[in-house]
Amino acid sequence: MVERIEDLNLPNSVIARLIKESLPESASVSKEARAAIARAASVFAIFVTSSSTALAHKQNHKTITAKDILQTLGELDFESFVPSLTQDLEIYRKMVKDKKESKASKKDTSTTAENANASTTAATEDATE
Amino acid sequence: MASENLFAHEFSEEHDLELEQAMETEADEPGETEEPPEVVDETPDSPPEESTTEPLADKPVTVTNGHKPSADHEAKMTQLPLARIRNIMKLDPDMQVATNEAVFTVAKAVELFIASLSRESYTYTAQSKKKTIQKRDVEMAISAVDSLMFLDGAMNF
Repeated sequence: MVERIEDLNLPNSVIARLIKESLPESASVSKEARAAIARAASVFAIFVTSSSTALAHKQNHKTITAKDILQTLGELDFESFVPSLTQDLEIYRKMVKDKKESKASKKDTSTTAENANASTTAATEDATE
Repeated sequence: MASENLFAHEFSEEHDLELEQAMETEADEPGETEEPPEVVDETPDSPPEESTTEPLADKPVTVTNGHKPSADHEAKMTQLPLARIRNIMKLDPDMQVATNEAVFTVAKAVELFIASLSRESYTYTAQSKKKTIQKRDVEMAISAVDSLMFLDGAMNF
């Protein structure tokens, strides 16, 4: 739950780093300018969300998905973001999947030690892989 | 400076994630110290970023236990904290549920947005033969780019 308005700000150190990374080495950014960019970033997040919500509702689904976000970005004139985001999303999906699988296999090996039945589980696991 | 007090009044466990992230940043780039001194003054209970790795080591374990690996994992993919992004998204009263993937996509999009707004702003800085982006450069960038129209009226603070 959001307790106070500060909880909606994005962390300054991260904003500063993101700005720096996008600029030439010699460039810097004033405090006020950084605050303005941070504010714009929060507003952008809200803007994208509410547009995606509207889009999802129009299509009669309640859950906002990555697909809704990507489609919205295209409609809002940020289609230049979409290819890179699609790539990131693929990596993210793979990462989540790998994490799940490694969790599952860990569980498997620990049960094998104690339980003979675990071999059946392991076999099933092999079959799915 | 309200915006400087980001970490000063955190209750949620997000705080630890962010602190952790911030500390990682410190470790990666020792030259980049963004924590303003006044924040440290106001928060005796929140350890300054310069502190040793000890609080970093035990804090996430005690406070976030099971969530720690996932936060760690995500920290590698997005620089912005996903919990914070989700909170911002929840501001939309019509939003009921958003998948983790959707939150991730928004976080990444915001990162891209910051980069592109910074670059756009810097063109005005460079035009006036300066090196430091000023607020007016950001404002000029916003009024010049059509897709940034949505920021009009939201930037007065």
